[in-house]
Amino acid sequence: MADLNLIIAGVGGQGSILASHIVATAAIRDGLRARVGETFGAAMRGGAVASHVRIGKEIHAPLVPKDGAEIVLALEPLEGLRNIANFLGKGGLLLTNTRPWLPVDVNIGRAEYPSMESIKDAIDKLGGKIVEIDATSLAQQAGNVRTMNIVMLGALAATGKLPISVETLKQVIKENVPPKTIDVNLRAFELGLSSMKK
Amino acid sequence: MAKIADLIVEDAPGKRVLLMGNEAIARGAIEAGVGVAASYPGTPASEILETLALAAPKLGFHAEWSTNEKVAFEVAAGAAITGARAITSMKNAGLNWVMDMLMTLVYGGVRGGFVIAVADDPDAHYSSNEQDTRFAAFYGEIPCLEPSNSQEAKDMTCYAFELSEQLELPVFVRSVTRISHASGDVELGKIQKLDRKPVFDKHWKLPWRWNVYGPPGAVEKHRWLHDQMPKIKKLVETLPWNKLELGKTPSCGIIASGIGASYARDAIKMLGLEGKVAFLKLGTPAPIPERLIGRLLKAVKSVLVVEEGEPVVELQVKALAKDVNPEVKILGRLTGTMPAVGEINTDIAAQAIAKLTKRKLPQDVQREQAQAEIKKLVAPRSSTLCAGCPHLGSYWALKQALRKVGGKVPLVNGDIGCYEQGGYGIAGKEYKPSFSTESVRYPIEAPYETLDTNYIMGGGVGLMQGQFHAGYKDGVMVGVAGDSTFFHACIPAVINAVYNKARGLFLVMDNTWTAMTGHQPNPVTGITATGEATKVLSIEEVAKACGVEFIKVVDPYDLKATTAAIEEALKSDKFAIVVARHVCTLQAQRQKKFVGKRMVFDRDKCTGCKICVSFGCPGVVFKEGKAGLDPILCNGCGMCAQVCPTGAIRAEG
Repeated sequence: MADLNLIIAGVGGQGSILASHIVATAAIRDGLRARVGETFGAAMRGGAVASHVRIGKEIHAPLVPKDGAEIVLALEPLEGLRNIANFLGKGGLLLTNTRPWLPVDVNIGRAEYPSMESIKDAIDKLGGKIVEIDATSLAQQAGNVRTMNIVMLGALAATGKLPISVETLKQVIKENVPPKTIDVNLRAFELGLSSMKK
Repeated sequence: MAKIADLIVEDAPGKRVLLMGNEAIARGAIEAGVGVAASYPGTPASEILETLALAAPKLGFHAEWSTNEKVAFEVAAGAAITGARAITSMKNAGLNWVMDMLMTLVYGGVRGGFVIAVADDPDAHYSSNEQDTRFAAFYGEIPCLEPSNSQEAKDMTCYAFELSEQLELPVFVRSVTRISHASGDVELGKIQKLDRKPVFDKHWKLPWRWNVYGPPGAVEKHRWLHDQMPKIKKLVETLPWNKLELGKTPSCGIIASGIGASYARDAIKMLGLEGKVAFLKLGTPAPIPERLIGRLLKAVKSVLVVEEGEPVVELQVKALAKDVNPEVKILGRLTGTMPAVGEINTDIAAQAIAKLTKRKLPQDVQREQAQAEIKKLVAPRSSTLCAGCPHLGSYWALKQALRKVGGKVPLVNGDIGCYEQGGYGIAGKEYKPSFSTESVRYPIEAPYETLDTNYIMGGGVGLMQGQFHAGYKDGVMVGVAGDSTFFHACIPAVINAVYNKARGLFLVMDNTWTAMTGHQPNPVTGITATGEATKVLSIEEVAKACGVEFIKVVDPYDLKATTAAIEEALKSDKFAIVVARHVCTLQAQRQKKFVGKRMVFDRDKCTGCKICVSFGCPGVVFKEGKAGLDPILCNGCGMCAQVCPTGAIRAEG
């Protein structure tokens, strides 16, 4: 399988960095090389965050080149849009949560939040595909809204585009979440996985 | 378990794991048998000591968060003088604090291996500047290693201890954000157990070795340091991280240092130029391996230098070329082939390599237009304080007090910490330069527009004194800082204010943690880096001992009381300190100590006045002319209910 470039985008506090480390660790466990480059602002919470995940046999830099991502996994729609604009390659996939986290700029009336329609339109212009998931609700259904990132990983696994086995991913999730939350996280993963099969 | 606390001490040579660059640097020190590790938190370097602190109790070495980088450096240097292996780590700006000690320590060097790991931050993602540590290697006449990925970060750090002992000098390991905060697969090595007994000999190999004033004095010691350079230059020729792939008679070559080598390799692949250009991968940017680079310069007509930061390698290559092949053309930052500022990446390297090899990169004009259109739709996301952050209360109270008693144009001087976001501005707003000859007051639409000046750790409380002594009369002068910053850099400035009779308000926002860099403990937290209980220092007691006469301690969750205390301080004719103390909301939540109130929002009572929005909490949203509370982000701190003038937001319980 060729090298895979994936970007996991979200807002600080949503768990995009943990999600990217789970994917990269699973890739290494399945015998591949991996790089993760994180871009985030100075703050703990609330800023735009993107993790660049590169998996394959011959990779060096930790950042995905322009137009180089096969998949953008967006934990928040605006952050999906921000990243597809620069990075989504031709025929690429935007897999996005549908729940917005409004920036302060929008709240104070200095900017407008893009509609889901305009995001779909952007994907059309880039020649890509979009799949929307209400991952926040699925995480609440799983038992903890904070497992939204794991719901999204389930959805990502269901695309069949990852060169990693689902079993390895689940094992690495188990090892990387707090022990008391293993069950709720695995439920979240399954909900994400099955949401794509509907 | 794949958890880092277990992984980092696992003695499993050959095992492949995912490590962040900073974790890899820590692991390198662990494999080298480090005895003492000291640091002050600073992004993107904090995880180096954080990781070492996880390992320290298990492996029996000392790891500490020191009060500042200079102290950390001295702690590590002191250990190295007794023969222990020691590491100090810091962000780019942290290096400025240690220069005084560094520049004299090198006049006698060290006995145990001493590694100075510095994480630079090209693009200033988390920093106030883009300074390049590699220049400091020349300043201090010591070598600098520069990794290109996590594996090298580990291997080089481990080797740096050996190199340091061989040279009896400290050694730099220079990382950048894309190494420190990037992760990659790493093959672990063996963990050495040194069990060295600390020893001291004041004339060890050189008289008065550890006392720069001791005979034969500083100049002779400088000569000794200077005489080590030929040895260093010889050594770097043989290191495995400097490698030349000359290929078959190419006309062009690339010299790529550190992370630049990773970008350049991907770019070469992207352009299909594998084997068609000479490639010199560089791991020692200071000093460069002159013989190895000389071979490249003699073999090609033009060379591109790919490096992150300033043209440190490029300048040396230029000087070398004058001797070995003056005809060779050298491209890089100095020729404008690489950008002068900011961060590089694979695309930038590809563009430069295309110029070097006189190729055209494919262009898709239609796609670029589409991307430009899409970018216009992307709303900015300004950095904000967290929902329920106590600093929101402090900034609100400060704004109210300044409105009442701040004068025409009050001046608020910032500092470094979460509260520095009080000066980030609003990304969605356009700020225009002003050419007024008089003081100008600007409206504060959100707390993120509060700080008028902001530079460095401890800078604000000093600047306000200069403004006072210059005779600034258009408004009051304020300095703000946090708890960790207070101990890091503010105490001398506080004493100075008292001693030299400055006036003004120093607002210390104490949230008990060094929060912005990832919640490290500090002298007010009550625990050490390794989690041991320790004495809790009191900011107000320290201030009192420094001679400050006006001191008030308030809870910023109580907006009225905080506003009143700040007002009173501003009206006093003294240098006044207000300590706004409330534990960081994130930490309180993590430790399950946060008790949120039940928030009730009455949409009918909301007049859409946006006062709650201007409070700046991300938990308050505004849609269709009315405010609202985001049920996921809001944690029920209740502060917004205190600012709502119509009772539309209420906090119960």
